[in-house]
Amino acid sequence: MALAAVPAALLARRVGPGRAAAVGLAIFAGAGLACGLADELSTLILARCVQALGGAAAVTAALELLPATVGSERRAATVWAAAGATGAALGPALGGILTELVSWQSIFFLQVPVALIAAVPILAVARHEAATGVIEPELRRTGRPHLWANLALAMVSAAIAAALFLLVLLLIEGWRLSPITAAIVVSVMPLSALLGARLTEYVADARSRAAAGAILVSGGLAGLAFLPKATIALTIPPQILVGVGLSLVLSALTETALGGRAPQAIHGGWTISARHAGVVIGLLALTPIFTADIDQQRHDAINAGTAVILDSPVNPLLKLGLAEKVSERLEEEKGKVPTIGPAFEPLPDNPAERAEVEQLKGELQDQLDRGATHAFSTSFILAALLGLIALFPIALSKEVEL
Amino acid sequence: MLVIGAIVASLLLVGAYLAAGGSSYEPEQVQNPCKPRPWSNPQTLGQIANQFTNSALDGAACKLGVSREALARALATPEGRERFAKKYGIDDEKLAKAVRAGLLRAVDDAEEAGALSPILAVPLRETLRNIPLEEAIELIHNGRKLLSNVEGFLGPAGSIIEQFLP
Repeated sequence: MALAAVPAALLARRVGPGRAAAVGLAIFAGAGLACGLADELSTLILARCVQALGGAAAVTAALELLPATVGSERRAATVWAAAGATGAALGPALGGILTELVSWQSIFFLQVPVALIAAVPILAVARHEAATGVIEPELRRTGRPHLWANLALAMVSAAIAAALFLLVLLLIEGWRLSPITAAIVVSVMPLSALLGARLTEYVADARSRAAAGAILVSGGLAGLAFLPKATIALTIPPQILVGVGLSLVLSALTETALGGRAPQAIHGGWTISARHAGVVIGLLALTPIFTADIDQQRHDAINAGTAVILDSPVNPLLKLGLAEKVSERLEEEKGKVPTIGPAFEPLPDNPAERAEVEQLKGELQDQLDRGATHAFSTSFILAALLGLIALFPIALSKEVEL
Repeated sequence: MLVIGAIVASLLLVGAYLAAGGSSYEPEQVQNPCKPRPWSNPQTLGQIANQFTNSALDGAACKLGVSREALARALATPEGRERFAKKYGIDDEKLAKAVRAGLLRAVDDAEEAGALSPILAVPLRETLRNIPLEEAIELIHNGRKLLSNVEGFLGPAGSIIEQFLP
């Protein structure tokens, strides 16, 4: 998507936005079907690449089509930017729900009718373009992309990618929540993004909105880095900050990048490229860090857990049985923080021993949970720093009135 | 105004989480097994067996240059022992010798802590020194049997040991 957005926008200018959007949506739908039917990873990746080409064409062409619907280029830029911000926040939550309730393939199957339905009203525009075949020559001129706004978009997108993907990973891999529960938990972000979209209406200055958004995203990420306990409730305040922040910053920077520049599709393409490049760079930079951290924390947590078992007052023979079962669970759930509850079943009949084992179970799970939570801290802090560094290009960016 | 609000909200959240101990997590440190582990005041034979087992694991782990926790996991299952042998390059013979040495240290620790009378410590040491290597290997192949033996040789002496409890 990062690579395809600007060429796709250029193509949209050449063939007309209606035709580009219609063809793009058809490619997106077809490739989505291929993704859902893919039986191996290489096929899925290939189909996703094709889907990105179609998506890039449709999304950038949409920016050219919107002014006719919403009345002005400025309003079109606002609607387009808000849609992008909401989509970014909504994706992980919706994906998690579908994965749990149906299957991961259903995410792609659902995209097919959605894309085709979206293509229906565009067909009339496409037919008109095909009939007239005229693309106004002055619209082919392209100005330079807005460097600072796009740079800030890339940095903030890297930070937001961390918030979305790392939090989902923490909830599922670290705290062992089911995908649907994780999806419900992270739905706080899109709901907060809607609140952020309302704030946008009250503050006209895009630079202030962008700066406030970047600060809120960084503050939320720092909150996630310093979670005092492995509790869902404690993830909610940071998510509210990230959700409101991402809505403010993405829309403000996109509007700034598009402000006074023509053609909109090309500059919209640059913002899409910047955002997706930011996501890729963020994940590339942070994944090795948190992977190494989670390995180290898992190792530490296993040692700490074993120490808890050994130091407990439980009878040595009972301890050995527990150590055996806990070892088995650690092996079964290699790469994940295990649920060690089943290792403690059945509980001893003797009430005193039972109480000791219950306490031991709590202590051991606490060690594992805290270790898993801490494993994500460095990545969240780095992501928060990225959000703060984005304040520099935001400060340098100037909005040009349309 | 919006920027100030964002700064205040962020600082409040981070401050509250830090105040609640958000940055204080440190995984429980694994103790050096060569350092003596203090014996708490054991009141029953079961508590003595517990501390004896921990001391024995410390002693064996110290001899092998590994943590007590890693050794305990190795002794828990045959797969654990295989992984341990592969990771540390320690074969069954070396492991059995270390376990024997660990049991001897446990007797020393118990005696030093005043939990075991010298009258009992001397024959116990003698018994442990004389465990044949094959039998020691057999013991590490079956952690349950190893612990039963710990309880076994404490067991018959239990009533006497209990008389010597502080």
